[in-house]
Amino acid sequence: MKKWIVLGLISSLFFIGFSTAGFAADKKLKAGFVYVGPVGDYGWSHAHDMGKKFAEEKLPWLETIIVESVSEADSARIIDRLVQQQKCDVVFTTSFGYMEYTIKAGKKYPDNFFMHCSGFKRSENVGTYFGDLYQMYYLNGIMAGALTKTNKIGYVAAFPIPELIRHIDAYALGIKAANPEATLSVKWIYAWYGPDKAKEAAEALIAEGCDALAFTEDTPAVIEVGQRHSEKGKQIYTFSHYSAMQPYGVDSVVSGQLMDWGGIYVKVLESIHNGTWTNDDIWWLAKEKAALLGGSKTDMINPKFVKPLQNAMIDTKEFGKIAAYKLVMMRYEQMKKGVEVFEPFTGPIKDNKGNLKIKAGEKASKSDLLSIMYYVDNVKGDIPK
Amino acid sequence: MEDIIISTLQRTMVAGTPLLLATTGEIICERSGILNLGVEGVMAIGAVTAFIVTMTTGSPWLGVAVAIAAGMTISIIHAFASITLQANQVVSGLALTMLGLGLSGMIGKSYVGKPLLIKMEDWNIPWFSDLPWLGKIFFSQSPFFYLAILLALVSWFFLERTRLGIEIRSTGENPQATETQGVNVSKLRYLSVIIGGGFSALAGAHLSISYSKSWIEGMTAGRGWIAIALTIFALWNPGRAIWAAFVFGGIFVVQYLLQPLGISPNFLAMLPYIATLLILLLISLKDPKKLNAPAMLAEPYKRGKR
Repeated sequence: MKKWIVLGLISSLFFIGFSTAGFAADKKLKAGFVYVGPVGDYGWSHAHDMGKKFAEEKLPWLETIIVESVSEADSARIIDRLVQQQKCDVVFTTSFGYMEYTIKAGKKYPDNFFMHCSGFKRSENVGTYFGDLYQMYYLNGIMAGALTKTNKIGYVAAFPIPELIRHIDAYALGIKAANPEATLSVKWIYAWYGPDKAKEAAEALIAEGCDALAFTEDTPAVIEVGQRHSEKGKQIYTFSHYSAMQPYGVDSVVSGQLMDWGGIYVKVLESIHNGTWTNDDIWWLAKEKAALLGGSKTDMINPKFVKPLQNAMIDTKEFGKIAAYKLVMMRYEQMKKGVEVFEPFTGPIKDNKGNLKIKAGEKASKSDLLSIMYYVDNVKGDIPK
Repeated sequence: MEDIIISTLQRTMVAGTPLLLATTGEIICERSGILNLGVEGVMAIGAVTAFIVTMTTGSPWLGVAVAIAAGMTISIIHAFASITLQANQVVSGLALTMLGLGLSGMIGKSYVGKPLLIKMEDWNIPWFSDLPWLGKIFFSQSPFFYLAILLALVSWFFLERTRLGIEIRSTGENPQATETQGVNVSKLRYLSVIIGGGFSALAGAHLSISYSKSWIEGMTAGRGWIAIALTIFALWNPGRAIWAAFVFGGIFVVQYLLQPLGISPNFLAMLPYIATLLILLLISLKDPKKLNAPAMLAEPYKRGKR
């Protein structure tokens, strides 16, 4: 009898040992992150770093290392270092310009995993991921359209690439849904980080009569301009971008968009850890809670502007006459359910030259959205070449 | 339309302020016969020190003071190389630019992108700020704007009307003759380079704590080079520098207004340099003497040598 118990104990111990070795439950995974900007910026790289920190807290077996402010030309060297010296199992490269180097690194190190953010090239061990905010721009557009007094709305934009055009168009479609009279003007500053340029562009838009501004630039410069004018008695509505910028414009920021990379990083790292990783493109939106509405961590809409938005009535086909506040919330709920339920880019959509781009009832596909290069019909001017 | 004009002119004054400050400093420096191509670098040093001090102490004026001191200190390198060692001023100036840009990037690494919450309030000049048009354009600006104008006027008076100013100018024209009058040329040149450095750093401080309210490597974005071009454009006269700086500041602002007309921002960014080339060309063709360049600009001076 005793013998059997001992044997049973030994065999169970053996199986426990086997299972831990076989499924690697305590195996460490080391991830390297390559950032294009400093983590101290108030936008892109900062947001990625927050995502990384989230993953670190959530995954006890994860070890990470970051390299910040890596110029695109330098990235190959940095990836080499992360793989060879730091022995990273997976490297995340977080700028479009790293695409070619990431693909090359994938060939060079076939036993490692690489994840490239915002690109479109994949290979056996190189995957891509992106979180897009265009739905939030649509919601901001509804609020801008409902609040504007001048029917002129502005956008300070970084570079004329499809991502920005998609955001501008989504914002314009939101404006149109709330206020068909209003038009959108765009100023290009040709910089991801350029507070002086963003400031002048915002001032130029305000001088032209715009009273609601959204933007793509990594500082709160546009919000500061809005705040300053609002303090002096000329109400300017602004929409925060990427990070929670409401503290810089308590009288001006209505809402905005926030990006949460944490979920994506946890998902990718878990899949690598448990061996279920594939190189399918990851494209996360409101449904996956990557894209969030708000200009601060606590309020989706600045309490100061909740009343005016509840009082602004909008005529919609779907819901009849409805308050702007309610429309935003309902659309947001729909977006959280998925693009099947509500997609801002649903036809008929015409460009501002009068050409029909998306037929009535049709929805833009992901590839349509990724390559979009036209202004919808309530945006003024042309996309610079 | 009225709004657009007022706002554009008001922004022009803001954008022209750092240019005017740096140009005034460079004029004083070049008038003494020393070419300082280090403006861009000293500006960056001024920007980063002003930002760090303002952020940590909460006092923008202390930030400005420290920035000026830092700019003056680092300019001594150029003064030492070009005056005491009589080295090539172009090389030494370029080295100062590179040093300043690199050093500022290193010092400011952990401050990159952090927004400054401390506000420097605009000054509303009583009565004047209520004037239609003019009030908004000229009389409710940041303190740096008034300081820039005031310093340019004072510098003009200093160079044209005071004994020390005339000595500095004659140092740039004919150091031998000046020395025979019992003036210490080296000392005056040191003084001019250091004052110039203080002005450049002040321009940088304006950029980081008033204009952008943030710090990033390379935020001076070529403004130092525009100041050097402006020095020539203003024909080495601080009075003329005032309107020249605001014309060039206006070009920076107007590019966003002209964008809808399809004018490329890159083309507009070129305009200050084209304008400088044009004015050099025009004056040289018409009457080279009117160019007014200090005769001994960038020529090392050795006491007792002829």
